[in-house]
Amino acid sequence: MQDFETLLKGSAKAHGHLCPGQVVGVRMAMLGCELIELDNPRQLPQIKKIIVYVEIDRCATDAIAYVTGVKLGRRSLKFIDNGIMAATFVNLETDQAFRIRSTEKSRELAAEYAPEIKDKHLQQLEAYKRMPTNFLFKIQTVDVKILIHNMPGPTRFKATCQNCDTVVRDKKEVYQNGKILCRSCAFGAYYRLLEEKNDVNIKLQKTVSHKPLIRETPC
Amino acid sequence: MLKQHEHPCEKDCFQKIRVENAVGLTLGHDITEVRPGEYKGPSFRKGYKVQEGDLCHLMRLGKRHLYVLDLNENQVHEDEAVIELANALAGPGVTFEARPREGKIQLIAAYDGLLKVQVDPLTEFNLIPDVMCASIHNNTPVKKGHRLAGTRAIPLVIERDILDQAVSLATTSFPVFAVKAFNTVSARLIITGNEIYEGLIEDRFEAIIARKLAAYGSTLAETVILPDDQNQISSTVRQFLEMGTDLIVTTGGMSVDPDDVTRLGIRGAGVDRVHYGAAVLPGAMFLLAYKGDTPIVGIPACGLYHPTTIFDLILPRLLAGEQPNARDMAHLAHGGLCLDCETCRYPACSFGKS
Repeated sequence: MQDFETLLKGSAKAHGHLCPGQVVGVRMAMLGCELIELDNPRQLPQIKKIIVYVEIDRCATDAIAYVTGVKLGRRSLKFIDNGIMAATFVNLETDQAFRIRSTEKSRELAAEYAPEIKDKHLQQLEAYKRMPTNFLFKIQTVDVKILIHNMPGPTRFKATCQNCDTVVRDKKEVYQNGKILCRSCAFGAYYRLLEEKNDVNIKLQKTVSHKPLIRETPC
Repeated sequence: MLKQHEHPCEKDCFQKIRVENAVGLTLGHDITEVRPGEYKGPSFRKGYKVQEGDLCHLMRLGKRHLYVLDLNENQVHEDEAVIELANALAGPGVTFEARPREGKIQLIAAYDGLLKVQVDPLTEFNLIPDVMCASIHNNTPVKKGHRLAGTRAIPLVIERDILDQAVSLATTSFPVFAVKAFNTVSARLIITGNEIYEGLIEDRFEAIIARKLAAYGSTLAETVILPDDQNQISSTVRQFLEMGTDLIVTTGGMSVDPDDVTRLGIRGAGVDRVHYGAAVLPGAMFLLAYKGDTPIVGIPACGLYHPTTIFDLILPRLLAGEQPNARDMAHLAHGGLCLDCETCRYPACSFGKS
């Protein structure tokens, strides 16, 4: 694994800016990887051994994803919408799992660890670099029951909604009133349909052909 | 470690082999690693195919010999077999753990709903030698993540044709296990009784019904209190039906006294089907009627006294879109006796399990 400063620089670039959340996220991810004994999770073979559950969609989440290499599309990044600055790192091979939560106390301690900086934002940024791990984080050993439909790898399950004909993957269908339905048909959608656009000619942008993109590893 | 009691087909599966000759072969047992104060757990799992790069690690763990599995093409390791079994048994709303633990896989509810178990195919499945599946009861309301069943291949190695037979049976009867999602309904409540209507006593039914509906995400849209007047009850039921009510609940007036006219009022509303009386205690005088697809339930006064009654057995089925009929009601007899425990543990008891 690269050193902290290199990872922080890369993470800030990937995220779009450097912020205290990047520092917390990078440190949390490095600690998580160390705890589950993966030193190079971004590359094979370790890329297939890690799943991270993040509990918030804020800056630190991007840093965690950058350091660990986990991605939604690889099914190695799971979002649990708890609004808590925490993440759980799972080693799929050994079943080791650790949940790391950022402490509220660390915010109060920022002034102590970077007293020479007056700007609160910059003070937190620097303080979180200097703060000992046990002040910055709470660590829990946990057991994560990963269900088959949440595992990385090829699609194992497909069903077709009997209301709208949409194919639903990964056991996300719902059995309601004797019908297999997609979640939108069963429980209502997160959007309100305004208009179907099936008959509109969509202007395709001309694509420039470069070298064919090859996936590093099969999904 | 090997199992104490090996199955006949396991006899020739294990080979003791030197570590350096194990590359490409399948481990027959877990290999545990202990690093004092740091880690204890399996470093290599049963079923793992040994790689060249593993040899040093294995030797550091003190391993000079390994038991490897040497399976012929008609033999399947229990960990692979149980995935096939779980996959065949798990219908909609049922998922399972990604990895077997000690050869077993648990089937898990993917969302809140009513568990449906096809009991006869499950029995047939368990008549096949070398496989098993044990479950909780049919028609149990379950929450997302609840354990529903556990399955496994009984021996460490199972014959392929037996496994195929079990998978085929489960697939033919698909789904052996399913979870029906609950509909969230808006119910209307008619509380009957002269004593409540005239203000002699305070109603306590409304809070009970609202709480029981809320447990499944449903709500009470309206409550009316009526005297023991058959015509008023009939016209209110009709009015609620015309308003497109999902579920109509009435309370009281289900007994045989001259003032108990609620069931007559429901009949008088022009319902299509009425089932009065049920093989459940408490709840023998329960009424279930339908007008089209709309259920109308009549809860006798026992619903006030007993924390759990027949209403708790029928409500989840109605919310799951079912329309229990006379046979379904009679089928409740086996398991239909509440033991009136000092502390009610329903649904973790025999009540309603048949």
